[in-house]
Amino acid sequence: MITTAVTITVNGEAYSTEVESRKLLCDFIREDLRLTGTHVGCEQGVCGTCTVLLDGQPVRSCLLFAAQLEGACVETIESLATDNEHLHPVQRGFWEKHGLQCGFCTPGMVLTAKALLEENPDPTDEQIRTAIAGNICRCTGYVFIVEAIQAAARELRERGEAVDA
Amino acid sequence: MPDKAGQPKLFGARVKRVEDPRFLTGRGRYVDDFVRPGMLHVAFVRSTEAHADVLSVDVSGARAMEGVHAVISGEDLAHVKPITCNSTYPSWQPTKFHALARDRVRFVGEAVAAVVADDRYLAEDATELVQVAYRPLEPIASVTAAIREGAPRLHDGWEDNFFVKRHVKIGEPDRVFEEAHGVLELDLITHRSTGIPMENRGVIAEYDPADEVLTVWTSTQIPHLVRTGLADFLGVPEHRIRVIGPDVGGGFGIKGHLFPEEIVLAALAMQVQRPVKWIEDRREHLLACIHAREHDHHLQVAYQPDGEVVGLRARIYVDCGAYSVYPWTSTMDTGMALGILPGPYRIRHYECEAYSVTTNKCPLGPYRGVSRPQACLSIERAMDEVARALGMDPLDVRRRNVLQVHDYPYESVTGLVYDSASVAESLEKVLELCDWGELQRRKQAARAEGRYFGVGFGHYIEQTAHATQEFIKRGVPIIFGYESANVRMDPSGKVLVHVSTHSHGQGHETTYAQVVADELALPLEDVRIVFGDTSSTPYGHGTFASRSAVLAGGAAIQAAGRVRDLLISFAAKELEANPNDLELADGHVAVKGSPDKRVAIAQLARWTYWRPERLPDGMEPRLEAVASYDAPPGTGTFANAAHVALVEVDPDTGGVKTLGYWVVEDCGHMINPLVVEGQVHGGVAQGIGGALLEELVYDENAQLMTTTFLDYRLPGATDIPHIAVGHLSTPSPFTVSGIKGMGEGGAIGPGPAIAAAVQDALKPIGDVFVNELPLTPERVRRFVRIAEESAGDRT
Repeated sequence: MITTAVTITVNGEAYSTEVESRKLLCDFIREDLRLTGTHVGCEQGVCGTCTVLLDGQPVRSCLLFAAQLEGACVETIESLATDNEHLHPVQRGFWEKHGLQCGFCTPGMVLTAKALLEENPDPTDEQIRTAIAGNICRCTGYVFIVEAIQAAARELRERGEAVDA
Repeated sequence: MPDKAGQPKLFGARVKRVEDPRFLTGRGRYVDDFVRPGMLHVAFVRSTEAHADVLSVDVSGARAMEGVHAVISGEDLAHVKPITCNSTYPSWQPTKFHALARDRVRFVGEAVAAVVADDRYLAEDATELVQVAYRPLEPIASVTAAIREGAPRLHDGWEDNFFVKRHVKIGEPDRVFEEAHGVLELDLITHRSTGIPMENRGVIAEYDPADEVLTVWTSTQIPHLVRTGLADFLGVPEHRIRVIGPDVGGGFGIKGHLFPEEIVLAALAMQVQRPVKWIEDRREHLLACIHAREHDHHLQVAYQPDGEVVGLRARIYVDCGAYSVYPWTSTMDTGMALGILPGPYRIRHYECEAYSVTTNKCPLGPYRGVSRPQACLSIERAMDEVARALGMDPLDVRRRNVLQVHDYPYESVTGLVYDSASVAESLEKVLELCDWGELQRRKQAARAEGRYFGVGFGHYIEQTAHATQEFIKRGVPIIFGYESANVRMDPSGKVLVHVSTHSHGQGHETTYAQVVADELALPLEDVRIVFGDTSSTPYGHGTFASRSAVLAGGAAIQAAGRVRDLLISFAAKELEANPNDLELADGHVAVKGSPDKRVAIAQLARWTYWRPERLPDGMEPRLEAVASYDAPPGTGTFANAAHVALVEVDPDTGGVKTLGYWVVEDCGHMINPLVVEGQVHGGVAQGIGGALLEELVYDENAQLMTTTFLDYRLPGATDIPHIAVGHLSTPSPFTVSGIKGMGEGGAIGPGPAIAAAVQDALKPIGDVFVNELPLTPERVRRFVRIAEESAGDRT
């Protein structure tokens, strides 16, 4: 087995480890770090289920090797809330508006939405649809996801939180 | 609606789902999230041939690889019986679906060998070292190839390539066709697509030699049936098998099957005496899970000058692929199409031939709607064509034929009892919802700008929660006649409900809790729903066919009612009151009209278990009841909906964009409108995908060409418009609380609505009959050319 030494920061914690060089980032997150909130839907880089944030931007973790991410900062769904009482506004929006059904695409969808709202705090429905076009949801038909993201955007704006672009 | 407790009803409320926080925080537990001590990983070698004799499988190279623990092929599973699932119809011809192929492979992707290794990467490496020698046989890639004279037989001992041939003739079709004003002949074609849950299949199997128990975690909709199937085919006593369907990332019917891979994993766990895990990849899923929808319908429609459709004849072919699927058999699509084809119309003269055909393709099985999308496409497009033939408004043709509210309950020409419905009303209501007149004006305005907008309509009556009587008629070996629920109140007065159905997006943890909480006058958080583990839940069939809310919801209501009765009996003794004078309200049993005279349910619960001497004579120290519910009359309760689509077609590229979508649905009393609307949206999105994008394409050698999501196009957020949903509520006169099923409905209407809309959009170019789905750019271009030619012919 060929391995590579890397240091990757995941959800604020730095991991220095020898990782099999061909190991996908999604497998590293799920198997080595046991953060199973990141799901894998196609391993072909299309469905967006495995989306994580890499230095703040949504990426498909099935298209990256862990070994190529020396010094990178990764955020997964587990970074957003430590318990049910302190959900991120995007998570709360999805809950309030029934923006999820089976829950499998949800972590990737939530992270994509979070990244969108950090860039564009007041998106139109069309902008939301474009932003999430790379995240396939097979259950919801997207209607309530769009409403959920709008609700989150409203809450974030009302809070007047500083937005880090 | 239940009105037994003096507190605000949860039934009917838009209750936020109680299961959501775990999914939102990444704490859902799907099969791949489980890690067992010492677990190994499995990868499959799959057939590259569509049809071939398997001459040899050489696993020696793979076995010698470091990190590989076992490699098995078909001959290593001699003790395992093939999956069989046989219809009781006289014309039925059976198949044997081996968990790993023996002498012959019959579709590309069929499992041939399995490798067990330290991790999935190594297991996949080792599959490349397995050498399979094939002798290719003539592949049968289509119904046409399967039914032509002299076609090779796919299965030993078969007379032809039909799983089943059915024929019904009801009324006097010959006479009405003879006497009719006109007869139309129409072909309606739907190509192969499938459900595509975002979570692929996955299985973990573990054998505990101490307890002699085999535990199987699997991404399934039907844990109990998987358990029985494993017992029957693997030869392990059923009481030594535990199947767990944990969180499942979507099913849509596709995961309602027993799969060869489940059997192989179980056998491997017992062989290597270590837990083994298999996580399917997307290519495998597209190749070898379950396909659906591939129907050819040839229709003859007899009509009168006023638009009345007096007779219907149909010849239906369904490409069922290589093997009969468990637990459904390969009769499900033909049976459903044959039964429901006349739809919501007053058609009394009917003849139908229906054929389930075997081909060298992945087996075909139920997917959301099961045949109803194809049956709806046929009958709705037929109505449109009758209108065109007569120069009538297509909506007026429907108004002329559709059943009216006073017609229900109505026994259809095929013997289905439509219990109640609002088809005529939903038609009118959806026209208001979408502002049909305004849509027509938008269409004209777009045409003035050189753009091609079209509007299409489709409606249906949908059989849901069909139970004993229907499945007897269908000739399936297992009669999916009921679901069960166990309601148990603990000494603290909290309630645990174990159900036989499985929730994989439908929100049962919320909706069942709503109805049980209402029965017991408790807050929602005092009720917890448990599903998926065969060791704790009552036996049942599972979640499919829009049945769960009706059957398991009904069972939960009935079981909770029995617990309520126990509480009332006990309280009657404690309060020295007549049981008939008592009611449950706000966590208490109280004397009606004297709210001070009451006893807390939690107190009664504690006494039941701790103070048996206080119990009334004959009451056992248990607040528990189990109920099974088979909704009468057993042929289903019928939901209905009307759909309208607005599309724009680009005649140059063949591209179609869905600009707007409107639905008026009626599923009787809704337990939770939020969940109902979510189901409608999701079904419509799948229906639009099936109408425009999704297709499993086989070439003439029966090789699947669409093995990634780049080739198999799923609808994303920019492919689906806003979907407006309106409701009507016509409760079932038969079911508990008037509930009807509705999980599949959304997927039924989009086919005909979109096809009609595309045809409408092409009208300025010329006349064309849009009869084929999905409407990929290539097909739309073909229809554009036909339209252009028809216009040329006219001039």
